[in-house]
Amino acid sequence: MVLVALHTQALGPKHAGAYIALLERGLRAARLNNAFPDRRRLQGTLSALDQAMQRGIYEQLYVDSRTGLPNMASYTRVLTDQEIAAGSLARMGEHEDLSRRRDEAEVFARLASKHEYFTWLKGIELAPVDLHRVLLRRHDPMTGAASFRMELTKLDGSGLYMQLTIELTQIASVWRRRVIDLDKDGESAAASQAIHAMIYRCAALDAETIFVRLHGIEGVSVERVQRGVIGPVLFALPDGVELARTLEPEGPLGDAWQAWITGPGARTSTPEMAATFATDIAAVDVREEKSNDPLSPLLTERIAPAERARYEEIRRRYPFKVFKDRKFIGTAGVRGLMQAVIDASRCRNLIYDLR
Amino acid sequence: MSAESKLNLDILSRQVSYSGEGISVKSLEGQINSERDLQNSKVDELKVLRERNVEIQTAMTDELKKLRKFSDYLNGTATKDGFWAGFKEVLSYIPGLRSLSISQRSIEELLKQQYQVSARRVKEAAEYVDHLKKSEQDLYKELDRINIKIVEMARNERAALDFVLELRQLQEDLKAAEQAVEPGSVEARDIQAQADKVYAKLAEHSTNVQLYGSAEERYVSLKENTRKLAETIRNLAQDIQQYTTAASIKLDMASAQIQAIGRAADASVVMLEMKRSLDVMTESMNVTTQFVSDTQIFFRSNLDTLVKELETFDSTTEKVLDANLKRSKEIEEKRIQAAIEKAIQRGGSGAPAPAAPTA
Repeated sequence: MVLVALHTQALGPKHAGAYIALLERGLRAARLNNAFPDRRRLQGTLSALDQAMQRGIYEQLYVDSRTGLPNMASYTRVLTDQEIAAGSLARMGEHEDLSRRRDEAEVFARLASKHEYFTWLKGIELAPVDLHRVLLRRHDPMTGAASFRMELTKLDGSGLYMQLTIELTQIASVWRRRVIDLDKDGESAAASQAIHAMIYRCAALDAETIFVRLHGIEGVSVERVQRGVIGPVLFALPDGVELARTLEPEGPLGDAWQAWITGPGARTSTPEMAATFATDIAAVDVREEKSNDPLSPLLTERIAPAERARYEEIRRRYPFKVFKDRKFIGTAGVRGLMQAVIDASRCRNLIYDLR
Repeated sequence: MSAESKLNLDILSRQVSYSGEGISVKSLEGQINSERDLQNSKVDELKVLRERNVEIQTAMTDELKKLRKFSDYLNGTATKDGFWAGFKEVLSYIPGLRSLSISQRSIEELLKQQYQVSARRVKEAAEYVDHLKKSEQDLYKELDRINIKIVEMARNERAALDFVLELRQLQEDLKAAEQAVEPGSVEARDIQAQADKVYAKLAEHSTNVQLYGSAEERYVSLKENTRKLAETIRNLAQDIQQYTTAASIKLDMASAQIQAIGRAADASVVMLEMKRSLDVMTESMNVTTQFVSDTQIFFRSNLDTLVKELETFDSTTEKVLDANLKRSKEIEEKRIQAAIEKAIQRGGSGAPAPAAPTA
C-alpha cells in the first residue's frame, strides 16, 4: 500500500467497507457531545461513501494518511453528488425502465445503480467541509450588550475534522459595525468577513491562543473558546493478502502505532483501530488549569524560555483557564499501545473498547 | 376451354403474404416521418448536450487553470517577479477577492470553495457521459428496428416482384389463349375478363414493388444517418469521458495539495497578525518596564513625602518608617552640615556651628 498523492492513500472496495464500518462504530462509541462536529452528519457522509463504493460509483476511497480520516476529495465527492442528484435523476428517466434494460448494455445497469444511489442520497444530511454559524444568545438593546455563540466546523488542513465554538459578548457601538452584525430585528446575527476569516485561519490553533487573539479585539469580551477535534484515527485492516493501514501517522500516538505495526501488529489477523477525540477549552469558568490530553500538553509546559515572560504577561491580563482532554477508543489489539502513550504522559484517560 | 385449362388462373385468387402492416404511400410517409422525428430529436438533444458540454468544459478548464496557477505560483515556479506579485495576480482571479485585501479572506477557505465548484463542474460534465451513452444505446436499438424494417421491406418487395412476374406470365398466356379462340366469342370474352383481373392485380402489386422498394431505400438511408448519429454521440461521450476522468483524477489527487497551499498562505497571514500582536505586546511590556522603573525612582526620591502622608501603621511598617525617618534625619543633617560648610566658606564669620538637635 502506497501514497497516491500528498498525504493521500486510497482504499479499494474491500478495505473501504471494513474501514467505514469500524469508523462508524468508533464514532458511535465516542458519544460525542455538541463540542464536536455533528456525528450524524459525519455518519451520513460515511454511509454515502459506503453506498457509492458498494454500487461501484467510486472505485477507491481517499483517506488522509496522517489522520486516517476521509480527506477533502472524499467529503467533496458525496457533497457534489448530492448537489447534482436532482438534475441527474430528472434526466435519467424512470428507475423501472433502467432496471428492465440492465442486460441490454452496461450503461443501463450503471444508471439504475446511480438512480438508486442519488434517490437515497437526496434525503441524507452530509458533513460539510466547512460550516460557519453565528447564534445570538442574549441581546440587551438598553445596554447594547449582545452575546453570541459562533460555531465553525472545519475539515482542517491537518486532516483532522473539528468544531470550534466561541462564546463572546460585545458592546453595541462596536459590534454593529465591526465584528458581528445583527439584523434589524436584533434576532439573527452574522460574523463580519474579517472576524470570519480570522477565526477560520486560527481554527487549528490552541483554544488558549484563539481566546487571547479574540479577547484583544476592542469591545469584545470572550467567555469561552472550545475545540472538539475528531482524529487521528489509526487503522490496520488485514484481508489475508494485504494489510491496509494508516501510512503517515504523526505525534506520540503515531510513533507508538508505527512501532506496533512494524512489530506485533504486522501479523494481525483482525481489523484494528485506535481513534481519539480531543477537547480543548479556554474559558473563564474553568476552575483548574490542566491537560489530560497525552497528545497535547498545556502551552505553559512547552513554551520556550525566551517567550515565557511575554506569555505570562498575556495570561495575567486574561482571566481564563485551560482544560484539555482526550477520549481514546480502540480495538483490543491496540489497547496496550494506547495505554502506553497515556502512561508516558502521566495523564488519566479512559480507553473505550471498540468491539 | 382447352386453352383456359392450361392457364394458371389460381394466381388470381392467391393472397400474397406481405409481412407487417399493409403499405400505402401515406402509411410509408408516416412511418418514415416518425423515424425522422426520432432522429431529429436525438440531433437536437445532441446539439443541446454539445453546447452545454462546451460551456461546462470551458468553465471547468478555467477553474482548473486557476487551481493550477495557485499551485504553480505558490511553488514559485510560475513567476519571475517574485512570489507576492504572482500570488496577488492569482488571487485576483477569484470572484469577489479582487477588491479585498488579502488578510480579509482566508485563502484556504477560498481555495476549498473553488475546489468544490470545480469538482461539481467535472461531475456535471461526467453525468452527460452516461446520458450520451444511453442515447447511443437508444440509437443502436433504433438501428436494429430499422434493419428489421429493411429486411421486411426487401422481402415484401421480392414477394411483390415474384407475384408481378407470375401475373406477367399469366397475362402473356391469356394473350396467347385469346389469339387461339374466335374473336368476340364467349371464350374470348371470358379470357378478356380474366386479363382485366390480371391487369388490376398487376397494377396493385407493381405499386407494392415500388412502395416496398422505395421504403427499403429510405430505411437504408435512415439507417446510415442513425449510425452516423450514434457514432457522433459515442465519440462525444468518449471525449467527455476522457476529459472528465482526467480532470476528476487531478482533483482527487490535488485535494490535499489545495488544502496545504491554503493553509500555508493563511499561516503566513496568521504569523503576520501574531507578530503584530506580539510587537504591540512587546511595546506594551517595554512601557510597563519603563513605568515600573520610573515609579521606583519616584518612590526613592519622594520617600519622605510619602511617609509623612501615611496615617496608620502596623508594627512592621512602623519599624520601616522609623528606619526611614532615621535615614531621613541623617540626610537632613548632612544637608544642614553641607549648608553650614558652604556658609563658612563664603562668610568666614567664625560664628560657632549650631548644635545638632537631640535625637
